[in-house]
Amino acid sequence: MLETIAFYSMAAVAVAGALLVVTLRNTVHSALALGLSLAGVAGVFACLSADFLFAAQLLIYVGGIAILIVFVVMLLGRTTDLHNRQVNELWGAALLVCAITGAGLWRLTSFFGAGTGDTPHAAQTRAIGLLMLGEYAVPFELISLVLLAALLGAVFFSRKEI
Amino acid sequence: MTTIGLSHYLVLGAVLFLIGLFGALTRRNIIGILMSIELMFNAANINLAAFNHHLHPGGVAGMTTALFVITVAAAEVVVGLALVLAIYRNSATAYVEDFHLLKG
Repeated sequence: MLETIAFYSMAAVAVAGALLVVTLRNTVHSALALGLSLAGVAGVFACLSADFLFAAQLLIYVGGIAILIVFVVMLLGRTTDLHNRQVNELWGAALLVCAITGAGLWRLTSFFGAGTGDTPHAAQTRAIGLLMLGEYAVPFELISLVLLAALLGAVFFSRKEI
Repeated sequence: MTTIGLSHYLVLGAVLFLIGLFGALTRRNIIGILMSIELMFNAANINLAAFNHHLHPGGVAGMTTALFVITVAAAEVVVGLALVLAIYRNSATAYVEDFHLLKG
């Protein structure tokens, strides 16, 4: 019962935040709604008893990416943007694409029933650490290379004289 | 009230993905498009964690993959926002239909 309430409330927060992200006219409000939606997704991870993923989502997405986007939104843009249309004129076609994709996803979803139902809740941080330094050691090192490249790229592109 | 199963999480992931897809197709502001892409990443992460929890209980491979997705998304948004700033400095606009430097 508690799990049902937790899932539906967190899912409502995530979906409502996502709807606000794509519909709000003010980009600053949009970025703040993105933070709300990401926090809702973190709650969904908690419902799945993914404790480490929950913490990583809060730290990286809500604390890092959403704040970074808010910063950049405030760096650029003018006050006249608030009176401009923020959605292009092809929203009908986009709605059609979404409907077709949604129908396909619905058919895929109906393959999987209710799942296994109750599964034991166990702490996973230790297992994730062992997996990352054991079986997944090569992807783990490669992802650090990707992060280094992203760091250098961000510094390179945000220089003054490019 | 039924118990929450795998299909609930899959439907939630599909809904979030579709909202993100709609935003990426229709927003005029390039930062709005970046935010919509983040929503789609999150939908994929929900699916990964849900499959891990329901189809492979006790394992952590799906959650580790979701962590990798989060890392790549962070790298993507950092480089993307730096590019947005560089473009804005040159062309003074954030709307994607005004990005026609290569059109001639």
